[in-house]
Amino acid sequence: MDQTNLKTYVCSTLQLQGYALDEEQVHRVTTQFTRIEEMSRAMRDISLPLSIDPAAVFRP
Amino acid sequence: MMSARAIAAGIAQGEIGTSEILEATLERIQRHDPALNCFTAVTAERARREAAAIDELRKTGAPLPPLAGVPYAVKNLFDIEGEVTLAGGKINEGNAPASADAALVRHMKQAGAILVGALNMDEHAYGFTTENTHYGPSRNPHDISHIAGGSSGGSAAAIAGGMVPITLGSDTNGSIRVPSSLCGIYGLKPTFGRLSRSGTFPFVHDLDHLGPFASCVDDLIMSYDAMQGSDAHDPCCAQKPAEMTNVDGIDVASLRIGILGGWFEHWAGAQAREAVQCVAAALKAERNIEFTLAEAARSAAFVITGAQGGALHRQNLIRQYDHYEPLSRDRLIAGSLIPSSWLLQAQRVRRTAYEEAMTLFERFDILIAPATPVPAPTIGSETIEINGETIAARPSMGILTQPISCIGLPVCTVPVWSGASLPIGVQLIAAPWREDLCLAVARQLEQSGISQFRLPPAFMDTDQ
Repeated sequence: MDQTNLKTYVCSTLQLQGYALDEEQVHRVTTQFTRIEEMSRAMRDISLPLSIDPAAVFRP
Repeated sequence: MMSARAIAAGIAQGEIGTSEILEATLERIQRHDPALNCFTAVTAERARREAAAIDELRKTGAPLPPLAGVPYAVKNLFDIEGEVTLAGGKINEGNAPASADAALVRHMKQAGAILVGALNMDEHAYGFTTENTHYGPSRNPHDISHIAGGSSGGSAAAIAGGMVPITLGSDTNGSIRVPSSLCGIYGLKPTFGRLSRSGTFPFVHDLDHLGPFASCVDDLIMSYDAMQGSDAHDPCCAQKPAEMTNVDGIDVASLRIGILGGWFEHWAGAQAREAVQCVAAALKAERNIEFTLAEAARSAAFVITGAQGGALHRQNLIRQYDHYEPLSRDRLIAGSLIPSSWLLQAQRVRRTAYEEAMTLFERFDILIAPATPVPAPTIGSETIEINGETIAARPSMGILTQPISCIGLPVCTVPVWSGASLPIGVQLIAAPWREDLCLAVARQLEQSGISQFRLPPAFMDTDQ
């Protein structure tokens, strides 16, 4: 994903989540989100069988 | 510093007094903690009450519990009745004091141990360095200009500096194993769900583990056994009875031991490789076992951590951004923006990586890997260099621990020196619920001198 799209995504979701950050703070969050995006590539597109359960713990 | 086993035996046999041990411990904390910055609270009054109760029990002639009179301390995310649970955060200072002890603190009390204080950590456990801006960095006793590791840095440095024989910490992505490695001590991250987390400040519900630190394997076993047991208040805690550790019944020579290659070799610096070779040679281990999904598991751990940690703190971050740790607040916010599809994929990758690891345990009983890529960097380091690659220091110290905790396997970290001035740890990894195998191999390495705790001369008592 290119940097402009990432920054647009970060700015939009920050607003959606209710944050009100200044420009410098947004820049730092974008840097961190870029790192997460890069890191997530190692698992994001692995094709998995439907039988693999995300194994959430909720037990009523 | 006496071991927990020696203290408990001495008190049980009437050779030493509980108060004598406690006052010596409090004096050591007073003398050494200013240099190391491990303790955020010393619970001397409570400790004296607990010590008096042990003395009273001894006077009756009743059998003493296994850790009677043994001083210990806990990472400050454990609830201590009457104390505010800081979890490393200034933002929590105004919270009400805990109304009860955490489950593991209750277990330790039942075992007769004496709580002497709470220990420094990375804010909300999000870090591998314990460079806490609000409470100051915990320092490595082997060189106080270096980090202690994190996030349970105070817990590890308090052991390495000889202040207490047992401490407790948490490990979400490596926070027991990284500081154990950097401080040269023994640490146990049990199987996910083995020990109750109730009464502790959470970080990532899907990944949080609790466990002990010690200067020898026997003390690790004693404290781990004292804390076992199911707990309905922690939905992740396995509903299975305690399984007391019997390392004497395990023939280490007959265990099938393999060395994890690939990811774990690529990201190991020279000293880490040497430490693994040293341990592997002593155990006659087979080389280069491939865990092909290690990188994906690390990635999954990173995404799950970001998403859950970010979501947990979102409301407070919106209101009180300025009061959060500058070293991690932007990372937390970025985590709260992670798309749900990545999180769900990460959880499914976690399951797939677990299944791959289970196939490895059909051929091996123990897997070996370095605990950290390098020994402790200096405080304030922004980057570390691993085999010619320069990477960010703070998020990368757990690069070799994250793939393992992501799938919940038990790990004992043992210290190895390899002729260097700073130690490094090796992970001994077993199949789920086989902490006994990790501990049996750790004890063998300790008894043969391959692994060793070394108390730095500056922290030795005058009579040592």
